[in-house]
Amino acid sequence: MFRVSLLLLAALFLPERPAMSGSIIPYTYQKEILPNALKVLIIPMDSPGLVAYYSVVRTGSRDEVEPGKSGFAHFFEHMMFRGTKKYPAAVYESILTSIGASHNAYTTDDYTAYHLNFAAEDLETVIDLESDRFQNLAYEQREFQTEAGAVYGEYRKSITSPYALLNEKVQNLAYDVHTYKHTTIGFEADIKAMPEAYEYSLSFFRRFYRPENVVLVIAGDIKPANVMTLVRRYYGGWQKGYTAPAVVPEPSQKQERSGEVSYPGRTLPILSISYKGEAFDPSNRMYVAALVLNELAFGETSELYKKLYIKEQKVEFIQGSVPMNRDVPLFEVGAMVKKVEDVHAVRDDVYGAVAGFQKTPVEERRLADAKKRSKYAFLMGLDTPNRVAGGLARFVALTGDIEVIDTLYTTLEAVTPDDIMNAARTYYVPERRTIVVLKGAQQ
Amino acid sequence: MSMRIRFTAALAGCLLTVSTYGAPMVPAQNVVQLPVKNDPTISFRIWFQVGSQDDPKGKEGLADITASMLTDAATTTNSYERILERLFPLAAGYGVSSSVEMTVMTGRIHRDNLEEYYPLLMDAILRPAFQQDDLNRIKSQALNALENTLRYSNDEELGKAVLYGDIFAGTAYAHLTTGTVQGVKSITLDDVRKFYRTHFTQESVVIGIGGGYPESLVDRLRKDLGELAAGRAVVTPPPTPAPLDNFRVTIVEKDVPATAISMGFPITPLRGSKEWYALAIANSWLGEHRNSSSHLYQVIREERGLNYGDYSYIEQYARAGQLTKPPQNVSRRNQIFEIWIRPVPNEARHFALRAALREYTRLVQHGLTQEQFDRQRAFLKKYVLHYAPTSMERLGYALDDRFYGIKGSHLELFRTMMDTLTLQDVKDAIRKHLRLDAMQIAIITTKDGAALKQALVSNAPSPITYRTPKPASVVEEDKEISVFPLNVKAEQVKVVGVEAVFER
Repeated sequence: MFRVSLLLLAALFLPERPAMSGSIIPYTYQKEILPNALKVLIIPMDSPGLVAYYSVVRTGSRDEVEPGKSGFAHFFEHMMFRGTKKYPAAVYESILTSIGASHNAYTTDDYTAYHLNFAAEDLETVIDLESDRFQNLAYEQREFQTEAGAVYGEYRKSITSPYALLNEKVQNLAYDVHTYKHTTIGFEADIKAMPEAYEYSLSFFRRFYRPENVVLVIAGDIKPANVMTLVRRYYGGWQKGYTAPAVVPEPSQKQERSGEVSYPGRTLPILSISYKGEAFDPSNRMYVAALVLNELAFGETSELYKKLYIKEQKVEFIQGSVPMNRDVPLFEVGAMVKKVEDVHAVRDDVYGAVAGFQKTPVEERRLADAKKRSKYAFLMGLDTPNRVAGGLARFVALTGDIEVIDTLYTTLEAVTPDDIMNAARTYYVPERRTIVVLKGAQQ
Repeated sequence: MSMRIRFTAALAGCLLTVSTYGAPMVPAQNVVQLPVKNDPTISFRIWFQVGSQDDPKGKEGLADITASMLTDAATTTNSYERILERLFPLAAGYGVSSSVEMTVMTGRIHRDNLEEYYPLLMDAILRPAFQQDDLNRIKSQALNALENTLRYSNDEELGKAVLYGDIFAGTAYAHLTTGTVQGVKSITLDDVRKFYRTHFTQESVVIGIGGGYPESLVDRLRKDLGELAAGRAVVTPPPTPAPLDNFRVTIVEKDVPATAISMGFPITPLRGSKEWYALAIANSWLGEHRNSSSHLYQVIREERGLNYGDYSYIEQYARAGQLTKPPQNVSRRNQIFEIWIRPVPNEARHFALRAALREYTRLVQHGLTQEQFDRQRAFLKKYVLHYAPTSMERLGYALDDRFYGIKGSHLELFRTMMDTLTLQDVKDAIRKHLRLDAMQIAIITTKDGAALKQALVSNAPSPITYRTPKPASVVEEDKEISVFPLNVKAEQVKVVGVEAVFER
C-alpha cells in the first residue's frame, strides 16, 4: 500500500508566487499528446547534467479485477525488466550500466512507475530503451516463472513486518468487492500461483501497456523541443489498444466492522481505525478539508498526539493518513499501544478527538498554520529532477494530468473551519469504520 | 556548565543573538561550508565527534539516547509540545543521525523562516531540559526497537546486526548504535547529563552549513555554539577486532518463513585511498547495492528466482533495506567487506550460501575481465552523480570528507579514479584485501539450527529443486554449487535463540 500524507500533498503546492503559464507549478512545463494519445510532460530545471525520466502506467493493484490475479500489476512490473528482441534483458542491463543510470520501478494501488535518473547526454539512449520495452516486451515462459520466485521472495522478506500483516487484514475486512480488498503485493495464494499465469501476463501487457494509459514525465537538464523530437520518433509507432478493466465500485458500508489479527512474532499491539473516505476530488472542499483534518486531528501538533504520545505515553506512535486514490480509500488512524489493556482507552481517545472536531470548528490560527506548512513543504520539496517527476507521478496517475494540482491548491486556500467540521462529520463516522487490532502471539 | 545553561535560559528570547565580548567561539577551522546561492533552503549538519563507540560499558545506547534527548524532547525554553507547534507551520524539523563514530544533528529550513527556526535549533543543542518524562518516552522507543522490531520484524537488519556484533565482539564497535536491552534500561537522567557535558562540547563540534544561507550565519553559529562546554573527551581509539582466521557461523533461531544471511570480514582500506576505489570497482561488479547489474543478484535472483536481491559492500551501508544510495555521516575507521543475501526459502539456505560464496571465490581467484572492468568503472563514474543531488546530501559528504581526511571531495576523487585506475590495480586490491580463508557468517533461520550446523560442518550436498523449469546451463551449474565446499568446523558454529541477541 502506498500512502500519501498531507506533507506529500503539501509538497505540491505553491501559493503567492508568480506562476508560469498561470500555473502554481514553479517550473515552466510543456505538455504534448502524441496522435496515439501518449501524453508527455516536460519540465526543464536547473539541474546541471541530470535528468529524471518517469513512465507512469495508470494501472496498479486496483486494476486486478480477475479472481486469483491479485498482485499481478506488481509482478508485471518485474517482467518489464525481462527484455525485448532488440534489447534482451542482459543487453538492457548492460547499456544502463555503461551509462551509470540509476533505475528502478514501483507499483502502487493505482499506478506503476518506471523511473531512471541519468546524465543529460544519455537521453536518446534511454528513450530508445524505454520506448522499446514498452512496445516490444518479449519473454519466455521459463523467465516468467523464475521471476515469480523473486516476487515470492519479496513477499517473504516483507511479511515478517507486523504492518504488512495488519494492512492485509484491514483491506480484506474493509472491502467486499472492490480491488482495494487486496494489498499491492497480493494474496499469498495468488503469488504462489503466479508461475501458472504466463498467458495471462501476455494479455496484461496487451491490455494495459498502451499509449493511452501511459504518461511520460521528464524533468531536469533538457530542451523540450529536443525531447519531443526524440519522443515522437521512438514512441510514434506505438499502437493504441488500452482496455479499461471493469473495477466494481464498493457499495456503501452500512455498519462498523472489526477484527483481530495475530502476529506470529513479538510486537506491541497495533490499532488500526479506518474510515471509508472519498476518491480524489480536488475541487471538493470537504474532501480537501479531510487532508487538513488528518494533520490537525492526528498529527504531531494534535491534542491527541500530545495526550497519548507525549503526556500519558500510552503509545509508541500515533498517526493518521488520508491517501489520494482513484477510488474510495481508507482514511486511517494507526497507533502502536504499549500495553494491551490500554488498547480500548486509546481507541476511545481517537473517537473522542474525532467527536471534538465534529462539534467544534478549528481555530483560524491552526488552519492558517496548516496552510503555511503546505506552502513551505512545497517550496522545500521539489528540489531535484527526481523529486519533481516522482512527486508529480501520483497526480498524473490519478487524473492523467497535473493541472489538477492548481485546482487542489485553490481549493485548499478556500478551506474553512466549517469545511473541516463537515469532513469530520461526514467521513469519520461509525458506519464507515473498520477497526482491527494486531497482537503478537509471543509476549 | 550547568550554571551557564540556566543563566542563558533565563535570558532566552532577548539575548540570544547578542554575543559577549571575548566569549568563546567555535574555531573557524571547525566549520564546513557548502554555499549554494540559488538554493532557497538552508541545510544544517551539526556534527559532534562522538558515537556509540563512546558508550560507557553497561550503558550501551547512551550516545544515541543523549542525542535524542536534544532533538526529540523539551528544552529549557520550550516544552516538547510547544517546539512541535512552532515547527509545524515551517514544514521543518530537526533530527539526529547517530552512528558508531558520528552524531550529527540535521535540519533544513526555507530561508524565509530562518529567524523562526534558528532559535529552536540552538535551544535543542544548547539548552536541553533533560526531563524524566522525555527520557522515559525515548527509552521506551529504543527498547521496542530492540526487543520487538529488530528481533522479530526485520530479519535482514537482524542478520546484519548479528554479523557486525560478531566481527567486532569485545570492541567498542560491537553493540548497535541503539544499544543493548540492559544498557538502555539502565540509563538515567544523570547518565545523559554527564554524557552531554563530556561529549557535546566546543571542541567536539564541527559546524556544517549548506545551501542559500547568509554569510553572517556562519559567525552567528560559531558564537552561539561557543556556549557549549569547553573540553574534549578522550578520543576512543579505533577498535581492533579479534583476528578472523577461519569460517565462523552464528545461527539465530526463530520462527521465520525464510532465511536471511549476512557475511563478511574486516578490511582496512578507507575511502580516499587508491585501494578503496580499486576495491569499489570489484565490489560494484560483484554486488552493487539495489542494482540489477550486481553479479550476485544475477546468479541468485535473476537466474534462479531464489530471493529479492543479493549485494556486497566495502563500507557499512546503514538502512540498506530502505536506501538506494549510500547514507551519509556513518563514517568509521574500521570497515568490513560484506555480502547480503536477502531472505531465501528455508530449504534453499545452504544452496544460496554456497552460491554466493562460490561467486565470491571466483572473483577473488580470477578477478575481473577487461570488459567487466571497463563497464564497471564507466558505470561508477556516472552513477556517483546520483549520490548527492541535494545541498543537504552534499554537505553530508563534505563532513565525511573531513572525517576521512580527504582533501577535496570523495565524489570528485571517485570520478577521477575511475579514469586512472587500471585492471591491475583492481587485481592487486582484490589479492591484498579480499580473503578466501575466513568469513564470519550470520544466518537467521528456523528453529533447526542443529541440523543446519550439521549440514554445514559435514559439507552435505544441498541440491536445489525449483517449482519451475530452468535452463540446462543453470541446472548444470547447480550441480557444482550444491557441493561447493565450505571450510566450517563444528567448534566455530554457534546456535543462539533470538532472545539472546542485543540483550547486553
